[in-house]
Amino acid sequence: MQKLIIVVLWGIISFAVLALVSLPISLQTQLIASVFVVILMMVLKLVRPEGIWRLIALSFGTAIVMRYVYWRTTSTLPPINQPEDFIPGLLLYLAEMYSVMMLALSLFVVASPLPPRRPRAPDMDAKDPASYPTVDVFIPTYNEDADLLASTIAAAKGMDYPADKLTIWLLDDGGTLQKRNSTKLPESHAALARHEELKRLCAELDVNYLTRAKNEHAKAGNLNNGMAFSSGELIVVFDADHAPARDFLKETVGYFAEEPRLFLVQTPHFFLNPDPVERNLRTFEKMPSENEMFYGVIQRGLDKWNASFFCGSAAVLSRKALETTNGFSGVSITEDCETAVELHARGWKSIYVDKPLIAGLQPATFASFIGQRSRWAQGMMQILRFRFPPLKRGLSIPQRLCYMSSTLFWLFPFPRAIFLIAPLFYLFFDLEIFTASGGEFLAYTLSYMIVNLMMQNYLYGAFRWPWISELYEYVQTVHLLPAVVSVILNPRKPTFKVTAKDESISQSRLSEIGMPFFLIFGILVIAVLMTGFKIYLEPFKSDVTLVVGAWNLLNLIIAGCALGVVSERGQRAATRRVKVSRRCEFHVDGQVLLGTIENVSVHGLRLQVLGIESEMLLGKTGGVRFETHFDKQNHELPLVVRNFETTGDMMAIGCQYMPEVPLHHRLIADLIFANSDQWTQFQLSRRGNPGLLRGTVWFLGLALFQTYRGLVYLVRSWSPRPAPALQAKEAAR
Amino acid sequence: MNRLALVATGLLLSTTAAMAQVAPFDMSPMPEPVAGGSPAAEPAGPPAAPPAEPEVSAPADPPAQPWEQAAPAAEPATQASAPAAPPRLRYLIPYPKLTLSGETDTQSWSVFLTREQAASAAKLNIGYQNAIVAAPELSTLKVMINDVAVVDEPIQSSDAVRDLTVNVPPGLLKAGSNSVTMSAIMRHRTDCTIQSTYELWTEVASAGTYLSFADPAASGFRHVGDIAAVGVDAQGATEYRIVAPATEAAGAVAPVVRLAEALAISANMPNQSVFISQQATGPGGPGKLTAVVGLPSEIAGVLDRVPEGATVSPVMGFVDDAKTGPSTLVISGPTWPSIASAIESLVIPVDREAQSRRATLSTRTWRLPDAPMLRGQSNLTFAQLGAATEEFDGRRFRTDFAFGIPADFYAGAYGEATLLLDAAYSAEVLPGSHIDVYVNGNMAATVPITQGGGAILRQLPVSVTMRHFRPGANTLALEAVLMTRADQVCAPGATGLTTPRFALFDTSQFVMPDYARIARRPDLAGIAGTGFPYNRAEKPVALIVQHAEPAALSAAATLMAQMSVAAGRAIPVDGTLTAASVSGRDAIFVGEIDTMAPSVLAQVGVSETTRTAWSPMAFDATETSSTSITDAAFDRWRNELSGSGWHGSVSSLEDWLYRNFGLTLGSLKLAPSDSAAYTPPGNVGMIMAQQESPDESGTWTVVSAPTTSALEAGMKTLGAQANWNRIGGRISTVDSDLHEVGTVDVGRFHFFETQPASLSNYRLIVANWLSANALSFGAALVVMCSLLGLSTKLLLSMLGRRA
Repeated sequence: MQKLIIVVLWGIISFAVLALVSLPISLQTQLIASVFVVILMMVLKLVRPEGIWRLIALSFGTAIVMRYVYWRTTSTLPPINQPEDFIPGLLLYLAEMYSVMMLALSLFVVASPLPPRRPRAPDMDAKDPASYPTVDVFIPTYNEDADLLASTIAAAKGMDYPADKLTIWLLDDGGTLQKRNSTKLPESHAALARHEELKRLCAELDVNYLTRAKNEHAKAGNLNNGMAFSSGELIVVFDADHAPARDFLKETVGYFAEEPRLFLVQTPHFFLNPDPVERNLRTFEKMPSENEMFYGVIQRGLDKWNASFFCGSAAVLSRKALETTNGFSGVSITEDCETAVELHARGWKSIYVDKPLIAGLQPATFASFIGQRSRWAQGMMQILRFRFPPLKRGLSIPQRLCYMSSTLFWLFPFPRAIFLIAPLFYLFFDLEIFTASGGEFLAYTLSYMIVNLMMQNYLYGAFRWPWISELYEYVQTVHLLPAVVSVILNPRKPTFKVTAKDESISQSRLSEIGMPFFLIFGILVIAVLMTGFKIYLEPFKSDVTLVVGAWNLLNLIIAGCALGVVSERGQRAATRRVKVSRRCEFHVDGQVLLGTIENVSVHGLRLQVLGIESEMLLGKTGGVRFETHFDKQNHELPLVVRNFETTGDMMAIGCQYMPEVPLHHRLIADLIFANSDQWTQFQLSRRGNPGLLRGTVWFLGLALFQTYRGLVYLVRSWSPRPAPALQAKEAAR
Repeated sequence: MNRLALVATGLLLSTTAAMAQVAPFDMSPMPEPVAGGSPAAEPAGPPAAPPAEPEVSAPADPPAQPWEQAAPAAEPATQASAPAAPPRLRYLIPYPKLTLSGETDTQSWSVFLTREQAASAAKLNIGYQNAIVAAPELSTLKVMINDVAVVDEPIQSSDAVRDLTVNVPPGLLKAGSNSVTMSAIMRHRTDCTIQSTYELWTEVASAGTYLSFADPAASGFRHVGDIAAVGVDAQGATEYRIVAPATEAAGAVAPVVRLAEALAISANMPNQSVFISQQATGPGGPGKLTAVVGLPSEIAGVLDRVPEGATVSPVMGFVDDAKTGPSTLVISGPTWPSIASAIESLVIPVDREAQSRRATLSTRTWRLPDAPMLRGQSNLTFAQLGAATEEFDGRRFRTDFAFGIPADFYAGAYGEATLLLDAAYSAEVLPGSHIDVYVNGNMAATVPITQGGGAILRQLPVSVTMRHFRPGANTLALEAVLMTRADQVCAPGATGLTTPRFALFDTSQFVMPDYARIARRPDLAGIAGTGFPYNRAEKPVALIVQHAEPAALSAAATLMAQMSVAAGRAIPVDGTLTAASVSGRDAIFVGEIDTMAPSVLAQVGVSETTRTAWSPMAFDATETSSTSITDAAFDRWRNELSGSGWHGSVSSLEDWLYRNFGLTLGSLKLAPSDSAAYTPPGNVGMIMAQQESPDESGTWTVVSAPTTSALEAGMKTLGAQANWNRIGGRISTVDSDLHEVGTVDVGRFHFFETQPASLSNYRLIVANWLSANALSFGAALVVMCSLLGLSTKLLLSMLGRRA
């Protein structure tokens, strides 16, 4: 009853707001109301950006957005009898309406994200281990090398769980019978070698190696093959590069006992290396990663509506649930989300645990980044095409909206491309595809844009800095647009391509797929020049020219920043160092010294020791002994000294691992992956909301510098030998 | 005669059986026999007494008397001095002056002629003068009567008024309405700039522009239907002189006012006034009509001869009286009610039901065609609005049309109408040219031409703000400002190039959307526009007038006459009520300020002190009130200091906001503010003030001045069309030198519904109110959104998973 009253009340108030914003009020009133609302949102933001105030501020923003939609729909479309204006005008209108719809869906999804759940490890510890469910860990692999797999397997092996309840499976799709028997000799040769090497590795690390006859249904088929050979109650999936923390199972498994209809516990993907955007813009250390918006807010929002979905890795699934759908679904190339849709539609539930419990790698080059995104976009389009969540029976209405939001998001290349091109229609061809005066633009469009940015800041402020979404969308659009178009035309064509994540860039260069960005940049620069000409030559329409020119300039700034994104920086250590503090003994040259391990990466570590003679350490081999988490014994890990520096009595020494036996991999995993709290700490250190204004200024500076850097790379790529001055400058950085 | 018969029939049907029938009497000369030959008896000059011996006769026994009974008796007394007689004139221009300006200008209106005038041979005289810069070889003045060109002359009289006289082709003039169109095409002698087109003008002199009729019969009025032919004087004004000796009696007020209303509606001239006196006035002249009304005993002293039979039954008709002049309308009867019934017979043909809707506003006597009333969603082509397809080869093209808006129009703050332009411009026209739209002389939209190379605009939508719309007739002007390379070079003779540059097609449309309609009290603009709210009165409007003073009664009659013209119906009045008895009804108070009850003044928002402080002493045209001196000095200082320093930039921001958004600091309000009691400053000669009646069910309007003569003069000034349309606000004023009309804006007001309840209308009303009180929209948005946020919070805590 009370429920009904609240729903009716909400309905009435919404209707009243709708009635209010659809009043045909005058331009002056609109201007005043916009200024009013923007100021109020700013004040609320400064004073109290959470709880009820957040919702009120979002309501203000919604009202302004709705007013924009009302105005845009009723008075800005070009007359239909001028098709040269009307058709592009309508496209732009549809693009904007798509953006508004996505904003509305996002508002719904993240209206009230669930706060992070309390840790479950203590609960588990309190229970009798005999009551723990049996767990199969699947590590599907296709072409990753043994070292990478070794550390993932080692980390999985190191998870805190009764050994008799935990079975680890390396599911090798690169050594299948089909591959080994390939008619192409080099391929069959490589597959055979891989098969043997991984079998041996698994035997050494004491895990199961499994491969199959044919590479059917890609990753989903591989996982289903794993299911056929295993019997654990729960199934954990880790991508080949996703090494779990010790407490992964303790934090996740417990939920299945609490909720019998649970099919999924998903955890965030935390990355130790920057993506190409972060690496090339050097933002990895200070700005939240791109995926943090998804894992930090959106999944929590989805969780509110029982709609958080499987992201392919770092998740625990219920075998019972998977059996109802005959395992993982493989129609689309994003089997993860597809599986989740199917199980949600059957009434199973999902939970999201907002704590990084695995650490992984992401694609290092821009090209493989785009490859990964193309797969996601195409897969989501396939889900949209074959499963059509909005009308899927069995899904609740909130779930339908949530899946709509997740799948339709990937249509963004269309509006992004239209926003990019639209000003050019006016600047180059004099087409008026948006009929409004300068004043109307100010009162409606500008206020809409400001409010839109402010709303995004409200929703995602700490997780996504201003203009970064636009930048990511733009850099993806250029190559994603053809991919999305092709999947719409041929929904069954795309095949699963494994994203390469272990590439490294030894030398600074332009991305091999970076050229279109320079082309677009050039066109936009010409458009800016056109703006100047037009203002000078056609002063009578300078107000519209200024507005359109400003819009184009905004595109140019983003496009300029993207030049930096496709200018790949050469980098030595691609992975992040994790701060630790562990007592150890350092052996070198026969000396045994007490020290502390300061930080570790997947390649090496840095330690501090007291009282060492500094002579001739460089290149010496040695070892470090420390107590592990997994067996509480002291083990020694071989190292080679790469650098050192003295600070007072202490000496800091940088070493590289020299793993020889599988145990060494477990030691490395123990160092890096033992403590997931470090990752949370690192993420929190980047999560600051600079605010709209500061963020915008920062982005402008960034864009300016990246434009310069992109152009320098371009010039350098033309000249056979890099100009020494530029080289020096780059080196100095 | 048929017309008259109809009037009589109508009267017969409408008057009660107990009331005697009105007997028209006719003193006209033999209608047919003398028409062609002998010149009629004409006064030697307007002021001279008519030599004709009028024979007024009234039937003693109405049913027995045919209408024409008296006619044979009316013989012209003198047949002499025909060549010396001044021409029988019908002035044509309904304004003090007619200026045709710019490169092309056309004015067109209709002139009502009597049967005799139409039948007579006539000459058309045009007197004009033009700007010296107009090139004679490129400029023409064209006059058309009933769409036949009668004058087509080069414009070539820059140093003095030039008179053109042409014979009107026989048979061209018609009894009743005749259209007169004057158009000027002018080109500058040397200059090709847009600016130079503003220097082009041709002034057609009102005094020198008339029809003169050869037939003496054409000079007078014979039938009441001829009232419409009263015309204008040499200044474009029309005056009704009502001689009513008995106006001290309250019972006479209503009939006299009704008579004024009937006369005014019949003629429907733009600048009409009513002059009421108790004694005979001198003979009239063109544009003047004298009516004598009263019991036979009362009018005996006024008229040379009292119509016979008036003591028995009501009589009404035109006489040529020795004292009051030719064509005097005499209305008499045995009792005032019978006189009233005679007057009603004049009203009936021009009246309409209070509830009936007019399709058009009658503007024909000053502007053709009549303005269509736009009461809501309507879509009219330019052809329907009277703007023809035109091609144009000059620099500044201008055309306009009129439309009517009802008084409950309430969309000024938000509304936008749309023009769908069908037009074309040639390749010559440079980008930067523009088409501007003016509503009632205020810029309402501008369409820049941004593409060179010529184009055809098909149904190009142009939003026209309704900010300047007002109740009644509105004019919308479209002006195309065309710039070309040739004009920039301006080679000799360039102004005369005749390749068309611009065309406007009459398939263009004016689209009016449904707009908010609700009436407000007070709102004087309604009075000017359609006589609102009195135009809707079903029962007589209380007219409380200081009737013993003819000057005050003149003012009241002028007001009621003009209101009735605006309303298109004769507003019923009741002159027998007092202020104390009208608190619940519509009422109009007219009188000297010190005769106004303090309660009435307080009710209409005029301060108590006005009664004593507003003295005739202040009624000095040369005196400028101290406040206006202060204002002028302040403005001067502000102008000098603007643009300098920090304050300058603030005020230039304000200017910018005003230019781009029409935004002023004054528009930042939450709700209409209370209006303080008004005290007229010393330079105000007359005020008109309006408010709700004390019990909020009627509208009270007060017209007052320090003296009755100021009242009469002020009302006459206000009644002239140019001023009448400026009436508005809660108080309108006429300054003491009778030039300026001022208004005091409406502060707090009350709505009253005029339309059937409908959600869509309420929505638009709310939109307008919120637009007019801009802050309130922001406030409403904040309140509603806060509620939405709160209820969303509740909803979210209920739906989905909880924290």
